[in-house]
Amino acid sequence: MPLFDLLKLGMENLWQSKLRTALTILGVVVGIGALTSMVSFGTGMQKNVIDAFKKNDLFSSLYITPAKIDLEDMASGDVGNLMRSVRTPLTDSTLMSILSVEGVQVAFPEIRFPVKLRFKGRETRTHLQALPVSVGGYPPFDRLQSGRFFRDDTCSEVVVSWNELRELGLPGFKDGTGEGAAAADTLLGCAVEIVSAVLDFNALPDLFRTGVTPTAEIATPFRICGLWKQNNNFTRSQYNSGVFIPLKAAERVPRLSFSSVWDILGRGDGGYPAIYVRAETVRALPAVRKKLEAMDLNVFTLTDELKEIRRGFLILDSMLGAIGTIALFVAALGIINTMVMSILERTREIGIMKAIGAGENEIKLIFFTEAGVIGAVGALFGLVLGWIVTRIANLIANTYLRPAGDIEVDLFYFPVWLVAGAILFSILISLAAGLYPAARAARIDPVEALRHD
Amino acid sequence: MSFLKVEHLSKAYSKGAVQIPALEDVSFELERGEFGSVIGRSGSGKSTLLNLIGGLDRADSGHIFFRGDDLTRMRRPAVVEHRRFCVGMVFQSFNLISSRTALENVTLALLFGRVAKRDRRARAVELLDTVGLAARLSHKPSELSGGEAQRVAIARALANRPALLLADEPTGNLDSATSREIIELLVKLNRGHGLSVLLVTHDQSMAESVSHRIIQLLDGRIINEKVQNSTDAVV
Repeated sequence: MPLFDLLKLGMENLWQSKLRTALTILGVVVGIGALTSMVSFGTGMQKNVIDAFKKNDLFSSLYITPAKIDLEDMASGDVGNLMRSVRTPLTDSTLMSILSVEGVQVAFPEIRFPVKLRFKGRETRTHLQALPVSVGGYPPFDRLQSGRFFRDDTCSEVVVSWNELRELGLPGFKDGTGEGAAAADTLLGCAVEIVSAVLDFNALPDLFRTGVTPTAEIATPFRICGLWKQNNNFTRSQYNSGVFIPLKAAERVPRLSFSSVWDILGRGDGGYPAIYVRAETVRALPAVRKKLEAMDLNVFTLTDELKEIRRGFLILDSMLGAIGTIALFVAALGIINTMVMSILERTREIGIMKAIGAGENEIKLIFFTEAGVIGAVGALFGLVLGWIVTRIANLIANTYLRPAGDIEVDLFYFPVWLVAGAILFSILISLAAGLYPAARAARIDPVEALRHD
Repeated sequence: MSFLKVEHLSKAYSKGAVQIPALEDVSFELERGEFGSVIGRSGSGKSTLLNLIGGLDRADSGHIFFRGDDLTRMRRPAVVEHRRFCVGMVFQSFNLISSRTALENVTLALLFGRVAKRDRRARAVELLDTVGLAARLSHKPSELSGGEAQRVAIARALANRPALLLADEPTGNLDSATSREIIELLVKLNRGHGLSVLLVTHDQSMAESVSHRIIQLLDGRIINEKVQNSTDAVV
């Protein structure tokens, strides 16, 4: 029997019991709505993370450390293992060797230390990170919120993160949106002070008395050349500092040689705790990695993490999908119930159809189609319901995020595979639910059926 | 080769452990273009005989040869094809699908007969016109009189151009005037279009007035078979 005729017949039959059909479809709508909204949350989170990686150019980045870092050791303060495991100290000559590797576009050392940002009598604690001017050509610094990246590697210019401006409590930056955008331009060219801590030699004798390292603060003047806004809430960028200054300009900012446990890796002998490397392309990354590892360097890329992240999201998606599927299975029971009731009511009709030439297969197909139509219509409306629910949830989430100054996010994502998969899954579940009723209808004895009232 | 040949046909129904015979050793023949009638009291096995010939039920023993093919030996798909293309059935209670219009009842049979969509409506309209219901196409069974409903059922039975029309007491629910009209229609189809008809009725005089062959059943057995000349059978 042609599919069009089957569909027409199925829809006409369902239309005969409008209320019952509507209620059965409603069950599927709720099931698919629950399934898609839950899975779209998982896919939305995954998309946000991956997009954040892409926006921050993390897929073409490598991170080189002199030792394999055991985060548990770092957290517990046991740095002995870490120091012993340093393989290749990261010095300027190492940096030059890395830069000469084919496929390496940019490489620079990690110079990052705590500072205070002082502006118009206000002050906030943050971290300073020194970057080469070449970094300005790539994400995330190729698109600043306002202004531009450094002119060169020695100038006294600073790119300030939007968060720091908010932390400073500057008017217009409290909500992190709209108003601040206009205010941002007025800050460009303004003088700021970067206040760093140095050892206070005059108070050094106190060290033995108090056990506290005596420090003094020194302010270094800079001018704001650009404002940077972290573009995603879901991952920290490798540029996770509040202020960024040129690499050579960092030499003019005095600092303590040891400001965090991280500095152990630099070992204070002119080495660096880490070196950032950017490969020319994402494709070039594996080859670059191989060459760097051949140099006995400890290389870390986010693609290592990505596999774990994907596995984690797969588990999350499966769990969310399983919860949604339970709702759909309940709906499937509703379909079975509806179809069985329909067969009881239409027993005579089945007998008539057999008497005028319908075979068992035709009867099966008719009931199958009715189940499939319930699944398809339920899936379409279920997707609409799921979408509405996710929009509302997103609105509520962003209502809380906005006042906190966070970037607005879309927590849910409906990829094509989810939409198509939900429709297909709903139809398959509905067809499976229609299996028993269809077989039962097909088996009906026409003579008995024709006697049925 | 006979058009329809029934040989030693038997059928019993089970009621618990008890076997109730409906037909016992029934044999007769019907030639192409003949109008046959099966008469007998209620419970004599008339409807069972028609259901077996129509492929709605299976015989316990015996044979039904339709144009040489033994229906009792056919596999299920072939029986469906038999119901679909070889015979058309008309029932006492019309058996129209109540939710569908007259036209839709006929097109449904055409759909099972694999008639192309573009031809279905035209063919259904033509059939309903043949039975005098061209003006009642969009009426549902509840909006039709008994006679009209039976005409729709006849049009539906003829949808896939069967060679044999099986009519199971088609006038049982109709008044005498309407009954006469329905019988006249069946005779017209038989005489005018060469359609073979096997009519089940308990009205012996009516059967004798229109039939070429009359088979009388009693308690599942043929007790009398009468063949009339075509001239004896009148409209």
